[in-house]
Amino acid sequence: MKVILNGEPKECSEGTTIEKLLDIYKIDKNRAAVELNLQIVPRKELSNRMLKDADILEVVTFVGGG
Amino acid sequence: MLVADRIEKELEDKKLKIGKYEFTSRLFVGTGKYPSMEVMAEALEASGTEVVTVAVRRVKINESESLLDYIDTKKYKILPNTAGCYSADEAIRVARLAREAGMSDMIKLEVLGDEKTLLPDPVETLKATTVLVKEGFTVLVYTSDDPIIAKKLEDAGATCVMPAGAPIGSGQGILNKNNIRIILESAKVPIIVDAGVGTASDVTIAMELGCEGVLLNTGIALAKDPVRMARAMKLACESGRLASLSGRIPKKLYAKASSPEKDF
Repeated sequence: MKVILNGEPKECSEGTTIEKLLDIYKIDKNRAAVELNLQIVPRKELSNRMLKDADILEVVTFVGGG
Repeated sequence: MLVADRIEKELEDKKLKIGKYEFTSRLFVGTGKYPSMEVMAEALEASGTEVVTVAVRRVKINESESLLDYIDTKKYKILPNTAGCYSADEAIRVARLAREAGMSDMIKLEVLGDEKTLLPDPVETLKATTVLVKEGFTVLVYTSDDPIIAKKLEDAGATCVMPAGAPIGSGQGILNKNNIRIILESAKVPIIVDAGVGTASDVTIAMELGCEGVLLNTGIALAKDPVRMARAMKLACESGRLASLSGRIPKKLYAKASSPEKDF
């Protein structure tokens, strides 16, 4: 199945959790916040939230700014 | 007690209180636009700051370097901003994400009106402040130096109001000292000058006016020697604060001798 991660289509297998997807793309979940279809997913739920086909994920972190 | 120790004790300042947080340093420093992460880390150290601002952006996939590798989060309080947002809804979304990313409930709320001037949109800023205060955020809100909107933001529950000295990144200093004075006169929350600082004396002026602190980024980050400028800003902030607490002499038109004028 296909999900959209930060605007890019990504293949992943059925039953992939958000945490697993972050692991695959080497994203440190402790420094990130995740939106699934525009809803924030609390960090403690990342390990049990399964992705569905066409889900849209936005993953943000902190960068330099004033 | 030694005289030197007694004086140091007398000069001890009270802490800067932002909601439930307390800081000794009154200088807040941004993390953008430095020549390198290493220089940024050194500049933060030299500035003596305890609060650093950061922006919230999409994670770049397969990029391993992270800003937070260079910031000791035990030493510095992270203050995420909503920079780049042009509506209340966008800013609220970014603020919620920032809180979820897990650093704190502090948010530097910034809702801009226009890409060329980067001036704040007062209507959207007020809207976002009201919502975020209701959601339990500690809101430090960026605004223009207009005393009326500053008051409205305070009334809406902002923990700290942060008027611009001059446009973001312009380095023009405190353009309207009188407006900052008027804001200070009636404010019951800390007033921190945010944006427009070009050099150390700008920080001193803000503090001499009676501001509780100064937030800056470009003035340090784009100086030829950011680390040295960071130290200059630290000293300027301390100087201005001391002067503000000391009660300056009034300005007079004519001279007044410092030495006795008779009895040679």
